[in-house]
Amino acid sequence: MGDTEPLASDKVAVQAFQLTVNYDKTPVLWDISLAVPEGVLLGIVGPNGAGKSTLIKTMLGLIKPISGSVEFLAQPLRKVRNRVAYVPQRETVDWDFPITVLDLVMMGRYGSLGFCRWPGKKERHLAYHYLEKVGMERYADRQISQLSGGQQQRVFLARALVQEADIYFMDEPFVGVDLMTEKVLIELLGELRSQGKTIFVVHHDLNTVEAYFDWVALLNVRLIACGPTSQVFHSSNLESTYGKSHSLLDEAVKLAQNKSSGMI
Amino acid sequence: MESPLFYFTDPVLRGPTIACMLMCLASSLVGVMVYLRKQSLLGESLSHAAYPGVLGGVLLGVFVFAGLDEGPLLAAFILIGAFLSALLGLWIIEILTRHLSVRNDAALCFVLSMAFGIGITAASRLQFTHTQLYRHVNIYFYGQAATMTDLHVLVYACISLLVVALISLMYKELQLITFDRDFASIIGIRTKTIDTALFILIVLAVVVGIRSVGVVLMSAMLIAPAVSARQWTNRLSVMLILAALFGLSSGFMGNYLSVELGEYFSNKYPNENIALPTGPMIVLVAMGICFVSLFLAPERGLLSRLGRIFLFRYKCIEENFLKALWRINADGDVTWLDLSRRMDTNRILAELVLFQMRIKGYIFRKSFNVYQLTGQGRQRATHVVRLHRLWELYLVDEIGIGAEKVHRNAEEMEHIITPNLEKRLSELLKDPKVDPHQQPIPPSTQKG
Repeated sequence: MGDTEPLASDKVAVQAFQLTVNYDKTPVLWDISLAVPEGVLLGIVGPNGAGKSTLIKTMLGLIKPISGSVEFLAQPLRKVRNRVAYVPQRETVDWDFPITVLDLVMMGRYGSLGFCRWPGKKERHLAYHYLEKVGMERYADRQISQLSGGQQQRVFLARALVQEADIYFMDEPFVGVDLMTEKVLIELLGELRSQGKTIFVVHHDLNTVEAYFDWVALLNVRLIACGPTSQVFHSSNLESTYGKSHSLLDEAVKLAQNKSSGMI
Repeated sequence: MESPLFYFTDPVLRGPTIACMLMCLASSLVGVMVYLRKQSLLGESLSHAAYPGVLGGVLLGVFVFAGLDEGPLLAAFILIGAFLSALLGLWIIEILTRHLSVRNDAALCFVLSMAFGIGITAASRLQFTHTQLYRHVNIYFYGQAATMTDLHVLVYACISLLVVALISLMYKELQLITFDRDFASIIGIRTKTIDTALFILIVLAVVVGIRSVGVVLMSAMLIAPAVSARQWTNRLSVMLILAALFGLSSGFMGNYLSVELGEYFSNKYPNENIALPTGPMIVLVAMGICFVSLFLAPERGLLSRLGRIFLFRYKCIEENFLKALWRINADGDVTWLDLSRRMDTNRILAELVLFQMRIKGYIFRKSFNVYQLTGQGRQRATHVVRLHRLWELYLVDEIGIGAEKVHRNAEEMEHIITPNLEKRLSELLKDPKVDPHQQPIPPSTQKG
């Protein structure tokens, strides 16, 4: 996928303006502005604690930035909720929760159902259809606790697919999954992209970046670069993302954190 | 012995019975959500937090609106007082965890004991100044179902209906928020509003409940039906219905046993002053249901799990015997002596296994202590060997583990691999004929 020039159209799918996020008074994300066109499969890459998950959570309104704003298809999130899908990290939910695989996938439709409306035949049908897409239809009636890590991730993807959105956000989808699942996921992501959808993927494996993503955002508290992989994924950018200069910042940030909370 | 129906018609008994059932219904439905949100201790803290409110309600009722005496108005004051002080407790927990970075469990314990301390201090003063009022407060402390009237039933029915209605209206949202909060918030569900609504429901259920089972036992009524219901189902909707049924029956049985058993004991031991109060009986019944569920539920119950473990162990032993017989002499006589050299199973168990295998038709006995595999036995034994060697090959070729290290793991997996897995293994390894130790892999016995 990295070899072709992106299918990206001129229309901007997601645009962030000067996002800054603080925990207490210390910055976790610093003045991040980016514009990503439609039809792009983008990897968000950076070291641990760089704020990769924080970035997508902030864009999706889960974390309140102290400044800055985000637009989806030139509109604020609340106007286009039905066109944005999200796949959280697997470990963030309780897999012993009493629901079946099909029920979990149907949750993707709840947003468009509205208050006090119950999922019906149509939702069931759609959920089953997308379970087939990720190769999990045989597990539809299983309890979710019986799934393996890779299967959990596929079901999560099915839940996002069933939203039939235009922009997808995925938080570390390849962590702890088997190779087969990784292949299925990346194929499906490619398929989504070729339908003109935009996909953001938080990713930590540098070896696969060039093979998987046609755009890449290099992040370490501030945005080092964001653009087509062939243009921005090179050693000098990687150096400034992963380089030693950051350990100093880390230390200073921690110090500031302790100072401002009165711990030292 | 009165018929159960009598408890719904008798003017004295129907009040407590129906009120307790409704209270249990409300608390068990709310309890399911509390349990799944892993906030079980919250009910305990809130019921204790309601206690000072009960005192406040009584005092306010008596001193501000002097002359009230145990009428419905006083009951209303107590309900409102308890409601407000439980809300206050909730708010303090929120402040402690959010702004003072106290851990949630510590904050819950803090509020529980603080409220309890205030309540008991005030109550012990009241004990001497207003003995009558002190008794009234104690009703809420220990719970006293027997004195509830039709008026109580009316109030409880309204509140329970409200709880049932709100839970079913918010079912979809509650399910999603409890399972995956971030996702819920992104697709536009108002998580804060739903949270607030649920907290108010919890407080309502607690406030209503302490009248029947008391401050201390209240949290059992939130948790016990939920824990029981979780054992029997893997669906939230079914879990709510089951919890409601368990709650309703605990409420009824508590009253029934309190009266019937109480009468039975007082007839039998007239001088012993035996009384069985309703509140504790309700909780005991709920706990009884809980224990039965924990032990006997078909899938998650302890007994069925132990049973499954036993069956699996037995299957392993049996298959190991078959394998040993096959190795020693697949088509001819095997003596006990040969067998005992390979198997360190004790003699009695071994005889039992061999006897079972004869009944199942895997072996037949040629003479005393001499056995031979039947065709069926041979087939099963080769199947186990096939799985063993397939797995070894898979570990060596696909996973990259050294050939000398795979035997032990394969000894276990040969009993576990399902026909489906076997098929996939065989496809992946391209129907192999030889294992990593250059032993032949027997062909598949699966049909098709």
